[in-house]
Amino acid sequence: MSSNDGGGLMSSAGLVRYFDAEDRNAITIDPKTIVAFGALFGVLVLVLNIVA
Amino acid sequence: MSWKDTAEPLLTRMPSVARPDRHVPFKRKLGWTAGVLVLFFFLRNINLYGLGTGGSNAFGRFSSILATQQGSILQLGIGPIVTASIVLQLLGGADLLGLDTQNNPRDQILYQGLQKLLVLVMIVLTGFPMVFAADFLPAEPVFGLGVAGTKWLMFAQIFVGGVLILYMDEVISKWGVGSGIGLFIIAGVSQSLVGGLIAIPQISGNWGFIPYWIGAVAGIVDAPSVLTGQGITQLMFHTSGQNYIGLIAILTTLSIFVIVVYAESVRVEIPLSHARVKGARGRFPVKLIYASVLPMILVRALQMNIQFLGRILKQQLGTLPAWLGQYSGSQPTGGLFYYMAPIQSPGEWAWFLGGVSQPAWKILTRVGVDLTFMIIGGAIFAIFWVETTDMGPEATAQQIQDSGMQIPGFRQSPGVLEKVLGRYIPQVTVIGGALVGLLAVMANMLGTIGGVTGTGLLLTVSITYKLYEEIAEEQLMEMHPMMRQMFG
Repeated sequence: MSSNDGGGLMSSAGLVRYFDAEDRNAITIDPKTIVAFGALFGVLVLVLNIVA
Repeated sequence: MSWKDTAEPLLTRMPSVARPDRHVPFKRKLGWTAGVLVLFFFLRNINLYGLGTGGSNAFGRFSSILATQQGSILQLGIGPIVTASIVLQLLGGADLLGLDTQNNPRDQILYQGLQKLLVLVMIVLTGFPMVFAADFLPAEPVFGLGVAGTKWLMFAQIFVGGVLILYMDEVISKWGVGSGIGLFIIAGVSQSLVGGLIAIPQISGNWGFIPYWIGAVAGIVDAPSVLTGQGITQLMFHTSGQNYIGLIAILTTLSIFVIVVYAESVRVEIPLSHARVKGARGRFPVKLIYASVLPMILVRALQMNIQFLGRILKQQLGTLPAWLGQYSGSQPTGGLFYYMAPIQSPGEWAWFLGGVSQPAWKILTRVGVDLTFMIIGGAIFAIFWVETTDMGPEATAQQIQDSGMQIPGFRQSPGVLEKVLGRYIPQVTVIGGALVGLLAVMANMLGTIGGVTGTGLLLTVSITYKLYEEIAEEQLMEMHPMMRQMFG
């Protein structure tokens, strides 16, 4: 049961750690923006490869 | 004034993915995870614009664990994230950062900013030499930019690809299931693994395990009789290109699966009871693979960076002194860089297969160096990992204390908990780290299906197991919303 206490053990799952704390100054990005940007960027390079 | 105050304005302003402001339903989480995974595979298959022909693979056999794809936008894969993590582990393990990530929110923000900044630095540090200093990515001028201009254009694409990987990981960590990096590792390794099982030469140029042996039995493929010495060697160690399709390879692959799943269940359980709620009992498991297999990727990445350095030095200087490195093509054949190169396949040491041109003492030295590196490195990075991810005795004791649990028969104090945990955690960490290192080297020496390397297999199996546990927990909470309050 207690293996799930808090977030401490969960952090072993990833190389990069994210905490709940956030600074007021921080710039936040919507996850949709990232996926959309990635997809568009991919399509752009793909199109350039085909055209050229 | 400490470095924290100086760096704060920069580190606190590193852009980050927004957190969900309420609970994300499990189905939505799966949706985000699948979406990012599709994007990952999409980007992996797009070649850099301006890329010429004839580049040599920069990562070699490391490419599956680092989720890289030679010549694609994701040329760097998770390489920069892993390298940045090595730096953070070393700094954190030696306690040079002075950040209390467990209790202090400001330190947590600084830590997050620092890791992101380090990844950006590493993207430049690995991407720059890759494009400009070696023959990994030859340029073919586009837009009348000339070779130099095209190289800058390729560098820009690699840079964007590296940053995208970083943020895709963050999206999965915050909105999806598991961690993005874990997922990318599984994706890269599984692709090679499945390819190694079912490939046919008409499509991929190499034989996979299943088609080859069906063909051999049916008489379509020309295999020597197993009653001859050559036939037995082929049965055990046959290779087709980078694929190992002998029986030894499938046995090694299966053994790693079995050993990791078994080792996941080997644990010391510390009984706990609730201080006030009578009858509420639990156990704290100290698992044999306590620090997980992830520190292993750090050791491997360190080895890879050493090899990378060797090839760039060779490219820049023309010839290296004999004690430092002798190369034939892109493979080191002597000198320091040869001994530092990890054993990647049976063909690199097995004299009875006939493909070895080095004298026995050189091979033995190289195997010895690899074993030492992986076992000692595995143990050291496991210790650092436990320290920096707050899994050590002190941090764990505090977490258990905060949850209101105690060890029955002991006083309820973090000090007592820490002492009891301290009897197990450090020893288990060191043994687990060394064991995983040994396993990885053994698996590489025997060869694995699809050439995914021992480290790749270990990582994939243990990450998948963790993912399975996490999904099970998610579903439990989905079915019983009350559980969420208990688990927090």
